Amino acid sequence: MSKISNAARSIGKLDELARKDTWLNRIHPLVKLLVTLLYLVLVVSFPPIRLTGVLAMALYPFLLFEISGLSFRDALYRLRIVLPVVCLVGILNPFFDRERVLTVFGITVTSGTLTMLSLMVKGVLTVLSSYLLVATTTIESICGALRMLHIPGIIVTEFLLICRYVTVLLNEADRVTQSYALRAPGQKGIARKTWGPLIGQLLIRSMDRAKALYQSMCLRGFRDDRPYLTVKSVTATDLFYFAICCSALIALRIFPVLELVGGLFVS
Amino acid sequence: MSHIHIDIAGLSFGYEEGIPILKDLSVSFHEKDAVGLIGANGAGKSTFLKLLVGLELAGTGSIRVEEIPVEKKTLAKVREKIGYVFQDSDTQLFMTTVREDVAFAPRNYGLPEDEVNRRVQRALELVHIPHLADKAVCRLSGGEKKLASIATILSMTPDILLLDEPSVALDPGNRRNLIHILNEFDHLKVIASHDLDFIWDTCNRVLLMDRGQIIADGTPDGILRDEALLTTHALELPLSLSRIRPG
Ligand SMILES: Nc1ncnc2c1ncn2[C@@H]1O[C@H](COP(=O)(O)OP(=O)(O)OP(=O)(O)O)[C@@H](O)[C@H]1O
Ligand SMILES: [Mg+2]
Repeated sequence: MSKISNAARSIGKLDELARKDTWLNRIHPLVKLLVTLLYLVLVVSFPPIRLTGVLAMALYPFLLFEISGLSFRDALYRLRIVLPVVCLVGILNPFFDRERVLTVFGITVTSGTLTMLSLMVKGVLTVLSSYLLVATTTIESICGALRMLHIPGIIVTEFLLICRYVTVLLNEADRVTQSYALRAPGQKGIARKTWGPLIGQLLIRSMDRAKALYQSMCLRGFRDDRPYLTVKSVTATDLFYFAICCSALIALRIFPVLELVGGLFVS
Repeated sequence: MSHIHIDIAGLSFGYEEGIPILKDLSVSFHEKDAVGLIGANGAGKSTFLKLLVGLELAGTGSIRVEEIPVEKKTLAKVREKIGYVFQDSDTQLFMTTVREDVAFAPRNYGLPEDEVNRRVQRALELVHIPHLADKAVCRLSGGEKKLASIATILSMTPDILLLDEPSVALDPGNRRNLIHILNEFDHLKVIASHDLDFIWDTCNRVLLMDRGQIIADGTPDGILRDEALLTTHALELPLSLSRIRPG
């Protein structure tokens, strides 16, 4: 299978996950969205030098993976392209910032190393928490939640359509390259001189397809001012989940949890 | 009381300046009409159907669906009444699974979830594909896509059906089932097709189009048996009517 159809397939897989009927999927999308946003803000708000604080924030995604039954390995596999990129941020810090902070087992740790590590962890955590949101909430529900936050309908519709068209573009690219490969046997990749027409063709075709899909949605009752959203009302369980998550996350942010736990063992 | 009807008067349309595709069409469809739209490739059949649901709007002349003129501001109303099956199923289907796609319209019309489920189940059963409900749309075969497309429309329970090449890609069993479904649907339907036997089996009225004009409008008997008429417009007798002479 080609790389392109693989990509389209993993988007489909993610959507499938989001449509499952687990307790985490059932939590109100607005609640999940707000918790995720709070989490992102809290993680980013740690000063880079406080590596232990950032590490403690990892509790949230790991606990959620554990109790939701989502596969952590699948997540790592799906995010295999994003995660290394995220890790690149801050990779140069150790070279610029050589101030010595502490020595562990005879190895000197500079503040540059610490900030690099905490940036990496921050990056990985934000990606993982976003993945948790997307893997348990359909795009339509996320859009519904955005609408509840009074984000203008036109922006939400735009977001919804972009999500849908990414698959269209990938499928179209897959078809074009396949039909190319069938008529250019024995060729590796695509000849440089065909790139221009091929990409142009791809753009026109995806635009046409996107337009046709949009029309097909409109024919079945979709309207810009009333996007396809099934927003249910918030239940007591949702509020409970919201309260627990928020207080736990804020506690993790305020109290140096890892240090406290560590302190218990040392003393 | 016959409230379901479409009236078209003086309709002309072209995609590009100076290249007319439809030329001054005037015709009316009534509640019990099952109209077969036939004509050579590029005759304008698909274009005509698209204009009826307002997918193209720049035409001159008028189209009224149950007295509502098809215009930008009436589109939502018109489209609630019409179920349209695209010639290309890939265009029709856009959700991830068949079930989601079939549920799209009823959900959009704000039906309660158990009614949505009932309609989805019924539509899937009608086209004999309940077993494909949770299959990813992009993994369906060509004919399965066609059946799923038809189910997405049946779940809307429209007043009027417009179908563009519905029998393409179907195996004989599914084709026969589709004929059965269409014959059960006793409101107005317009079917564009090159499958003249299919038209013969489902329609009580035939419109022959050529280069954007309606050449003939009559009963299947009158038009589909008229070999001279069909051949002058690049068509042939339905297989079931053409006599196979022993060599
Ligand atoms: N989007 C478009 N832009 C420009 N021209 C178009 C477009 N779509 C169709 N046409 C032209 O309009 C004419 C009528 O096309 P249409 O699709 O209505 O024919 P048809 O009768 O449905 O043919 P077929 O039997 O092959 O489906 C054709 O000549 C076609 O090239
Ligand atoms: Mg056509």
